Amino acid sequence: MNKMEAKYDFERKYREQVLQCSRCGFCQAVCPVFGSTLRPALNARGKMLLLKEVMDGKIQLDDELIESLFQCTTCASCFENCPSGVNVPDIIKQVRKDMVSIGTCHPAFKGMNEVLKRHTNIYAEDDAEDFGREKNRKAEIVYFVGCVGLYREEESTEATLDLLDRLNVDYTLIDEVCCSGVLEDVGFEINEELARKNIELVFATGAKTLITGCPYCSRTFNNKPQYAELREKGVNVLHISQFLKDFDMGVKTDKKVTYHDPCDLGRHCGIYEEPREIIRKIAPNFVEMAHHHADSLCCGAGGGVRGAYAKNSLAMARRRLQEAEEIDAEVVLTECNSCIHNLSNAKLRRQKFEVYNITRFINELMENK
Amino acid sequence: MAEKIKQALIDIVGENNYTDSLIDMVSYSYDASEYSQRPSCAVWVETVEHVSDILKLANREHVPVVPRGAGTGLTGTATPLNEAIVLDMSRMNEIIKISIEDRLVIVQPGVVYADLEKALAQYGFFFPPDPASGTVCTLGGNVSTNAGGVKGAKYGTTRDYVLGLQVVIPDGRIMRTGSRTMKSVSGYDLTKLFVGSEGTLGVVTEITLKINPKTTAATTSMATFDNLEDAGRAVSQIMYSGIIPSVLEILGHDTIMAINRNTDLDLPEVDAILLAETDGYTTAETDFQMEKIIEVFKKNNAGKIKRAESEEEASDLWAARKSAYAVLSRIKTHVVLEDVTVPMTKIADLLKGIKAISEKHNIIIATYGHAGDGNLHPQFVYDGYDPKQVKSKEAASAELFQLTIDLGGTLTGEHGIGLQKAPFMTLEHDPAAMDVMRGIKRLLDPNNILNPGKMALDE
Repeated sequence: MNKMEAKYDFERKYREQVLQCSRCGFCQAVCPVFGSTLRPALNARGKMLLLKEVMDGKIQLDDELIESLFQCTTCASCFENCPSGVNVPDIIKQVRKDMVSIGTCHPAFKGMNEVLKRHTNIYAEDDAEDFGREKNRKAEIVYFVGCVGLYREEESTEATLDLLDRLNVDYTLIDEVCCSGVLEDVGFEINEELARKNIELVFATGAKTLITGCPYCSRTFNNKPQYAELREKGVNVLHISQFLKDFDMGVKTDKKVTYHDPCDLGRHCGIYEEPREIIRKIAPNFVEMAHHHADSLCCGAGGGVRGAYAKNSLAMARRRLQEAEEIDAEVVLTECNSCIHNLSNAKLRRQKFEVYNITRFINELMENK
Repeated sequence: MAEKIKQALIDIVGENNYTDSLIDMVSYSYDASEYSQRPSCAVWVETVEHVSDILKLANREHVPVVPRGAGTGLTGTATPLNEAIVLDMSRMNEIIKISIEDRLVIVQPGVVYADLEKALAQYGFFFPPDPASGTVCTLGGNVSTNAGGVKGAKYGTTRDYVLGLQVVIPDGRIMRTGSRTMKSVSGYDLTKLFVGSEGTLGVVTEITLKINPKTTAATTSMATFDNLEDAGRAVSQIMYSGIIPSVLEILGHDTIMAINRNTDLDLPEVDAILLAETDGYTTAETDFQMEKIIEVFKKNNAGKIKRAESEEEASDLWAARKSAYAVLSRIKTHVVLEDVTVPMTKIADLLKGIKAISEKHNIIIATYGHAGDGNLHPQFVYDGYDPKQVKSKEAASAELFQLTIDLGGTLTGEHGIGLQKAPFMTLEHDPAAMDVMRGIKRLLDPNNILNPGKMALDE
């Protein structure tokens, strides 16, 4: 059979996988974008069909496909449930890069890349917050906050830092810049300059442990070649929930508490139990939502969707919160500032529960003790 | 699509519920079959009036209309032909009424099977057909394909539960069929005519379903057979035991081998494995039934027999059956899942025949399925980009259908005819039956606007 030389990297790398999609449509049960829009073109199967037609030469990879291909939170629910094993998030990330390389991109995504060329964070905020702590000092541990925690969920971060203080953890903040991992999701590459700066700042503290508040930063430091030097020089990267699981917090609550698995922590890193271990110790009245662990629903914020398709992103968050309402939760805990941000924004007035990071919740319990 | 039809559709459903954008058109070109064709537009209907107005328009303008649920059909039922308007029914998804006292539910067609299951669970009730695509498929799709699943032998298929329908017929009139009673012989059974009619006679806009109380106990066991005939005989002799298992599944040799090559389940590499489940309200009751079944397995030279002692062990036993589709889907780029059905006494003959066809055409056909009701799933695994393999697959399926009919079976137990089996309709149905079917189609849909090209009705 004559096969034309593949035009795009996605085809070179993922042709077999795209064709492996048997079109069963089972992803419709779990795709958060489909779930909140009921539009099959936005479902994982819809995306794979577009790519199949691109490879078959029936359609062009161009602006008309943006609305589908750029509207994926890369939550990986589809991959988790796909009978044919199609790794949709990886395929989508590659396609976005191909699209960017031919000049086709959602303006919000392009904007993100531009911002990170000129600023140190995705929000183009120039005044770095120090939370009243001395930064860049010698310490055993670096606490890396992440953009959302620095500039959108400051209260949450403040509480996390207070908790670390209460637990006498020897940590320092650094003049961190965006890890820029998110650029890989939205069609671009990690910004080497930003990566270098973070690596140097970490090394300067002498710390051998790097704790992140953001699961995405943790993934980036642990997996991306641009941060390999950290790992090679023995810096252990942990998400805060992994770090805190063995501490005895000495507080308890009777409140009915539930936990939302962030996609970046759960499906992408397999970290399901550590946050639950922490929560169960402080909240015996812990209840799961209808979807949890690998079946958890996405909050709708990932993959650049919150910036580019805000309305649908909030609709996804509302579906998630609906599940918290169904079990009469008083507190919804998670450990990702992006999830906190989107879920808090989506919360309806009638929904009386609080949406917190685990760290903030524990800190408040300690404060009130 | 003519501008005036587009405008008329927008006037009916509103701008936000109309689309002809490329991403939607590509997505609506496909279902879970190997077919595809671009529609001219799609609309998300929200009310029965939307459907009625659209059909009036389409009937007047002679534009084809294809109703669609979740698009999980395997035979091309929802693949639009001839620049059709796709009616996406999935947003008509309200559970209108659950009446436990009357033993029924009333739902809109876009309700997902699993959502109804969830809603009924709190009352200890369920809608039994349990199609494999239950997490995504819609009840409208279940009705239009008469969907079934693993529990068919004991609990039947969708048709056995549909008490009544609201249907919009092609001239736009809204019609009610059936009743909200457990029995009725009032007039022709129009309800059952529409069940399995694949969207060729009308668009279902409301469904009244009988529901069942859910059993609370189950026993599961597995038996291996070195000899296919023994397995076949075991299946048919179970009926003498007086027990109807809630599930009785078979895995053929090629399926077992494929599962072993691609997973670590390490199944015994025998000719066939049978999996049985009995259900009831106490373990004593389900164990009693299972003992009778195991006696039959033993009498028919079963090799290894394993009875699950816990739910966990039961789910381990089911792992092989549940993995079959996924494992086979990963071997090559294309799969086609058939659902030929034969009298239970012919299961061994069908499996042997399939093996011969597979060898003759040098194509992988791995078989598993619902032995309890004679409905098997030969899964063709091939590279659809290789014309030679496509040809082999086509020749092999034609022989499979002939074999099935020769064994006194039917082309389809639960997937429907669609495009895929339309050319074989006349193998199964005599000219008189075809005439009657086509006559009914012409009576209801003289302009052939509803899902044309399916079920060999418009020849």
